[in-house]
Amino acid sequence: RPDVIQPGYEPGTVVTDAVPQTTAPLGSPSEAEVEETLKRIQTHKGVIGTIVVNAEGIPIRTTLDNSTTVQYAGLLHQLTMKARSTVRDIDPQNDLTFLRIRSKKHEIMVAPDKEYLLIVIQNPSE
Amino acid sequence: MSTTKAKLKKPTLKVTPSSRVMNVSTSGVLRVNHSSTYARSINASVSRKSFSLAADSKILDKSSVQTPKHTVQVFDENGKDVTPQPLYQPDPAAVMSKHSKIFASDTSGGTMSDFYSTAYQTTTNASFAGPFTRSVFGSSTVSRGSQSTMESMNEEIEDPSSKRDVSISLSDVQVRREEVKELIKEEMLDEVVDRYLIESETLWLLHMPAVSVSVDSEEAESVKERNNLYMELCKNRMGNDKYVERSMQTFNGAPKTKEVQCEAITMVDAATTATTWDMYDSFRSAGLGEAALSPDTDKASGPEIVSNHRLDPTRAPERTMSVISTTSIASASSSRIEMEPFVVPSEDEPDPELIMQSEKFQQDLFVMERVILENIYQPKLAAYRQLPTLEDPDIVPKVVPTVVSRREESSLDEESTLTPALERLWSFSCELTSGHNVSSMAWNKRNPDLLAVGYGQFDFKDQKSGLICCWSLKNPTWPERVFTCESGVTTLDFSASNASQLAVGMHDGSIATYNVESREKTPVIDSSDCAHKHTSPVWQVRWIDHERGASGEDKGETLISVSADGRISKWFLRKGLDCIGPVLPQSLKVVGNLSITLTSPCSQGPLYRITWSPFCSDVFLSCSSDWTIQLWRQDLFTPVLGFTSTQSAVYDVMWSPKWATVFGAVNEGRVEIWDLGASILDPTIVSLASPGVKLTSLLFATETDCILVGDSDGQVSVYQLKNLTVGEGTQVDALDDIIGSTLASQL
Repeated sequence: RPDVIQPGYEPGTVVTDAVPQTTAPLGSPSEAEVEETLKRIQTHKGVIGTIVVNAEGIPIRTTLDNSTTVQYAGLLHQLTMKARSTVRDIDPQNDLTFLRIRSKKHEIMVAPDKEYLLIVIQNPSE
Repeated sequence: MSTTKAKLKKPTLKVTPSSRVMNVSTSGVLRVNHSSTYARSINASVSRKSFSLAADSKILDKSSVQTPKHTVQVFDENGKDVTPQPLYQPDPAAVMSKHSKIFASDTSGGTMSDFYSTAYQTTTNASFAGPFTRSVFGSSTVSRGSQSTMESMNEEIEDPSSKRDVSISLSDVQVRREEVKELIKEEMLDEVVDRYLIESETLWLLHMPAVSVSVDSEEAESVKERNNLYMELCKNRMGNDKYVERSMQTFNGAPKTKEVQCEAITMVDAATTATTWDMYDSFRSAGLGEAALSPDTDKASGPEIVSNHRLDPTRAPERTMSVISTTSIASASSSRIEMEPFVVPSEDEPDPELIMQSEKFQQDLFVMERVILENIYQPKLAAYRQLPTLEDPDIVPKVVPTVVSRREESSLDEESTLTPALERLWSFSCELTSGHNVSSMAWNKRNPDLLAVGYGQFDFKDQKSGLICCWSLKNPTWPERVFTCESGVTTLDFSASNASQLAVGMHDGSIATYNVESREKTPVIDSSDCAHKHTSPVWQVRWIDHERGASGEDKGETLISVSADGRISKWFLRKGLDCIGPVLPQSLKVVGNLSITLTSPCSQGPLYRITWSPFCSDVFLSCSSDWTIQLWRQDLFTPVLGFTSTQSAVYDVMWSPKWATVFGAVNEGRVEIWDLGASILDPTIVSLASPGVKLTSLLFATETDCILVGDSDGQVSVYQLKNLTVGEGTQVDALDDIIGSTLASQL
């Protein structure tokens, strides 16, 4: 911090009030945020793969190869349906929001929805 | 020959002229005749009868078929079905015989045939009427009456008036009977009831004539005669000319085989599971109305709930297609579809993008990221929250590279676990902040996990644009909010009353407030338009809570700022920030920590910070660029204590919120934690910074034993104070003692 006002600074200077707004490079800002977040997730420590599939099982975004993706998507879809059915059977007003499966080697995290499935496989010990 | 069902909403029946049925209303008593062309039953206690007029004579012949169907249903005013059941079923055989006798000559049809027959029938079947023997009498009179009127009626069938006559005459009779019945009801219990038993005619149910006759009977002789004659005949038959044997042959047609083939009837097993939630969903959606349902949905599979963010209506048929396909799959759950591998590719393009843009997806990503980070940072966060950290049994323990501060401690082997030290947990940093100098940090008043960090240069030269990042403890790798400012940020403060309001003071003298809850990148208000705004760097902004409103209107918080141009301004938050000029800081010091540029005789350089002790209200610390930290008391003009450790400017000092005798200080190269109770000459904990990085700011965490240190590279590192034993309580007395003893020794 300066101890005295520097001679170069003129007290009468008016500072413009326009604060530049960060604009996203593609489409709406929220879409860019979504892409950014997805990319960040993929680069986190220990993340083995990230998969986004739609309701039909078609992969929308994936970092794994196609066969693995399809396998994960199919199996987890069924498991998610079963889990959701379990939750709702107990209380129909409740609904499943997140599913985590911890195994010896890694952890599979699923965020289910009617339209899509977001799957991340992470190895926490890495 | 129409069968009618007259529904009664009120006791009166509607007349349907087309069917030529005259149904007369009943009163209250729930007895109405079933009227139909075929019905024969009569409830004997009906007051007024309804009867049907058959249109054809053929009815008579067909009337042998007793089919008590197509009945009239009666409903009372509440809509309850009060249709009376017939008391007995008429015996078809008996009626038929009698019936044919009576109406052998009656060809004109359209008579009260039904009614009469039943009336007659009631007499004959009186024994079957059960307890209503009284009605037998009534019916007998009726039958008499009916027979008498019958002849007169034969010619006047089509005449409606005659019908009425009949009905009236009958009704007279009926009324009598009805009256009688009513009486019974009221005084039933007291009256003596006479019962007359009459033997009815014998009904032959089965008659098998005997084959043999007893020897004693009269016919025996004749039977024997006949038998003998017959035997004679049989004997004479052989060789008798009267009897000739002839054989015949019938032609059998040639059989012909004919084959018929039909299509194979495929059987498919379909099963569905009705789960509790499925029924709940169906019930809810049915209650919401048909509009909520997709029109193409196959109802058998259960209505599909239209989700709030249903992507594209044109996709609906595709979904229903797949929905229908599930029903053909055995034991399919009736809810969501199975995966449909074949999708029209042209529809794929918009769809994934819609998913990516949906808010729910964003939310899920947000949560997912936090979950992943929680996995990564779990031990560190647990240490922060002072929870015991558990070893993950699946993780093979690796050697963790030690940090600079740790290396120092690990050299002292046995005592390393006991000496007070700083353990580095993690640091808030990302690529956005690298290279920026951390100038100030502030915790959110309502959410202790939220941290606002301001980035800006201290020196005037190389002024970059300022940056404000709001970090959450749950995500140390990416800030929750990022705001860029024109000039470097020098100070930050969160408001206490409105926890999402953040006041920012900048290097160019402007002040802005941001709302961190929204995703807006621009400040809520800005001081640029104010005529009296500061012209030199703002050293400090603070929200001060006024217990008593000075001018009556500020009963909440006001924003106070101190700037290098020597002014302390109070700001009003209206459309723009407006200040009311210099304000004397009398009440201010009671509440807040305000940084005032004092020039005091004992410090050679400018003070960087003044901070009041949270426990002793008249004690404050100051740090300046003359390498010293000084402890002052309000009433004294010379510092009570001075602390020097190294020859570098001390940028920041802060009291610990937990212990009165502990404070932390940050100079260029190291972090120092002083514990006055332990020593007033040396810091208790010293932690060196990474080379090349200058440490610039310090913040204590409010609820845990952690400190945050910001440096010139944009990193905010979180350290945990380990093994710092200060003693019980807040040590206020200890501080007072120290000050007192120091003063005493100075005298």
